[in-house]
Formats: sequence, structure tokens, C-alpha cells
Amino acid sequence: MKYAWLTYRRDALWFPPALWALFLVIVAIMRHPEIRFNLARGYLGFIMPLISGMMAAYAVLEDPALELRFATPVRAEQTLLARLGLIMAVQTACALSFQLFLLALKVDLSVLGGLFGVQLAWFLPTLSLIALGTAGALAGAQTVIGAFLVGAVWLVQVMMKGWFDANSRYLHLFRGVLVPGDPDLVLNQCVLLAGSMALLFLSWVLLHRQERYI
Amino acid sequence: MIEIAGLTKSYGRGAKTAHALRGIDLQINSGMFGLLGPNGAGKTTLMRILAGIVNPSQGNLRVKGHDLTTEAGKRAVKSVLGYLPQELGMYLELTAAQFVDYMAILKGLNEPRERKSRVAAVLEMVALQDSAERKIKGFSGGMKRRVGIAQALVNDPKLLIVDEPTAGLDPEERIRFRNLLVNLAVDRTVILSTHIVEDIGQTCRDIAVLAKGQILFRGSPAELAEAADGHVWSVTSARLEEPEPGLTVVSMLHLTDGIQYRLVGPRPKAFPLAEAARPSLEDGYVWLMKRAAG
Repeated sequence: MKYAWLTYRRDALWFPPALWALFLVIVAIMRHPEIRFNLARGYLGFIMPLISGMMAAYAVLEDPALELRFATPVRAEQTLLARLGLIMAVQTACALSFQLFLLALKVDLSVLGGLFGVQLAWFLPTLSLIALGTAGALAGAQTVIGAFLVGAVWLVQVMMKGWFDANSRYLHLFRGVLVPGDPDLVLNQCVLLAGSMALLFLSWVLLHRQERYI
Repeated sequence: MIEIAGLTKSYGRGAKTAHALRGIDLQINSGMFGLLGPNGAGKTTLMRILAGIVNPSQGNLRVKGHDLTTEAGKRAVKSVLGYLPQELGMYLELTAAQFVDYMAILKGLNEPRERKSRVAAVLEMVALQDSAERKIKGFSGGMKRRVGIAQALVNDPKLLIVDEPTAGLDPEERIRFRNLLVNLAVDRTVILSTHIVEDIGQTCRDIAVLAKGQILFRGSPAELAEAADGHVWSVTSARLEEPEPGLTVVSMLHLTDGIQYRLVGPRPKAFPLAEAARPSLEDGYVWLMKRAAG
């Protein structure tokens, strides 16, 4: 874990805490409960997944010692766990501490569900975009392809809520924060989890084709 | 120890197919083995295949009995491998000791005390014990190369692959590096890939020359030098002259009475007084390349 931290791009790792701090300040400044709620929802449900996906796109391939790493017997799943686990750990710390802060400010997130429901509302879109960013970068053998995919999917999902309502609610990344009362939310969450697992499995398969990345 | 048969590596498809290796057959035993060839010959591809990073398109490849075309075989080989790539990427914010320690973890050295002593030992081996706690970003090119060899040695590999290790090193560093490799080859297989003839001549008794993805020569440095016997000429001319077509100038030396040329190729017609010279390894290499070029 120590080296997962030390060998990760520092500038990228500062980004989540910087956004966390920014939203903390904005939420603290705002007085209106509804604005505070929307800011909190926006940070947890939209911003965190986007940043995580972008970071994941760069996490595996942007490694100066990639060729050396490939020449060691370290397994593909260990590489994925070390790189993506760090992103998830940082974002989990940000999400939980942000919620503690909201609790102190008496910002009510119960609309998103109970304690578990709130965690799923940020965790599943975050996991989905992490998986998409990783798989996209590995499939295209370029970090920018993963980042582009994450950005494009995020934008489409944010902009086309109505279309997802009518046609494809199970594939809507932000169902948990936008329509928390949806009776099909559990199914939506299952689909997101299964989709993330499938993309991570694809990443694992792709990471075995090491020659594409050096 | 290493058996390579019919090894082929191609990139691309259809008309755009590029062949990096074309049916390589090699057997490499314990000790120091030199792979010589011009840039673009396919040396790095071959090194990467031997390191289990690149998959061959065709052919058989066994290292210490492990089949390198299977995932299990690759993992087995990587656990006894030390690898120093041509383009050595490092985490510049880490200290030398941290970097080598991290590579040791990746190589499966999980016992902390054993790992710590091993890291200290390899850093001492490459004369970096006094800089172990300094960040790599402050190191010279030579020091970075030494960190590279330290990480390659940290798991006490039975197979050490070094690809163009002396590129960019000053003469003193190069000599130190070559001596280190020779010492290491006493009880393991060391494959040195380079385009610098001198490095091979000073270190290897067993060499192969690779060009355009094919093995052109296999034998000892002395045998490669002998291949140019009768094709190396020494000429002194009063003025600077272009050599005849078919002749390669391997050296030019300005003397008080003119310019001394060393030529490789057929007897120079323009210089009837040309004297046959004793071929060096470099002459043999140049002659081989000329013959291969037709």
C-alpha cells in the first residue's frame, strides 16, 4: 500500500481532496438547505464518479516503470487492485468525511435512502466510471481514450436523464441520486454492479496483452 | 538453458505486416551471451519476448524448461528473471533504496528483513550504498543505470537480460558496468543486447549477430573477426579521398604525412599499395553487415 501511494502520480492524487475541500467550503457558505442538498448530491453523485473515472483512465498505463513491472511475476489483478484500489480508497475517504461534515451542518441526505442507500448512490456510479475508464484505456491502449469515454458517457448520462427515464432506466448511472424513489432502483444498481464487474474483467483480460502498452 | 526455435514476430496485418523477427533459432547456455546488431534489427523485440512481455507470433521458446508461450511459463520465467530495458523508466520521487525495494516486492520477495538485506546488498554491488537514501531524480544517467541493474539483481535472477545497458554512459561507467556483468555471468545466464561492438568484444565469448530479424552469425568474437580476414585494408593517402564503391571506411586517422584509412571490402583498386590488416571484431561486424546487404 505504501508503494501504491508513492508510485502514483502525486498531481492526480491531490485532485480529489482539492475538490472535496472546494465543495466543503461552498456548502458551508450556502445557507439555503435545498442548495446545500443539491451541492452535496452533485459532489457525491456526479463529480466524484467523473473524477474517479478520469483518474482510472490514467492509473494503469501512465506508469514510468511499466516495462519493468511487466517483467515481474506480478499478476494483472494485483496491478488493477493496487492502482484502482488506491483511487477508490481516496474517494471513499473523501465521501465519508464529506458526509460527516454534512451531518455537522445538518444537511439531510435521507432523500437518497438510508445510510446504505446514500453510499450506493455515489459508490456505484464511481465504480462504473472507474471500470469504464480502465477498460477504455486498456482497449484503446491509450489513456486519453479511457478519459474521453468517461467524459462522453458522463455527459450523455447527465444530459439525457429524460431519455434514460423512458428507454433505459437500468443503464442510468445517476439513478440513485436523481430518482432515488424509483421502484426499479435495485435492478438498476444490480445492472451497474454487473456492468462494472464485466468491464473490470475485460480490463483484467486486456492487461495480459502487455506488448500493447509498451 | 534457453532454446529458441523458429521464432517469428510480426506486427500489423495484410500488406502492412512488419516482420521484427523471422524464424530465429538459438540456443543460449549459462554465462555471458552477446546479441549484436544495428538499430532496428529486432534485438529489443527478442529481449522483450525472452522477458515474457511480448508474445511471439510463431515458434517455440523455452527458458529453463518453461514454455514462454504460456501464461504459467511466463510467470515461472519472470520469477527467475532480472531485466534491464533499453528505455529505463523509474519513479523519480522514490529513493534508490525505495525503488529497488518496491521492485523486490513486485518480484515476490515478501519477507521484509530478507528484502531489506537484499536491497542493501545489490545497492552495494553497484556502488550506490552511499546514495541509497537519495531520490532518483537527482541521479546522473550512469547512476540511474546502476539503480536499474540493482533492481534487476534484487531477486538473485538466474537469467539476466540487459538491453543496450551502456548507452549514454561515460567510458569509466561503461567499463565498470561491463565488469559487473562479467562477474554476474559466473553463475547465471546474462544476455547482453547492444549495437556497441566494443561492449560485446570485452565481455562475451558467445555471440550472435541479428539483422533485419534474422541471425546472421553465431560463434565467438574471434570467429566473427576472422570472417573479415582478407577484406580489411590499411591505406595512407596524402589527401582526403572518397573510398571506392563497395568499401567501407571504418576509421580515419590524420597523420603528419597524410590520412590513414582503414577499409573493409574488396582490395581497393585506387590504392595499389594498400596493405592487408589484421581484422578486429568491428571489422568482422562491418564485413558481415556488408555481405548481408548484398
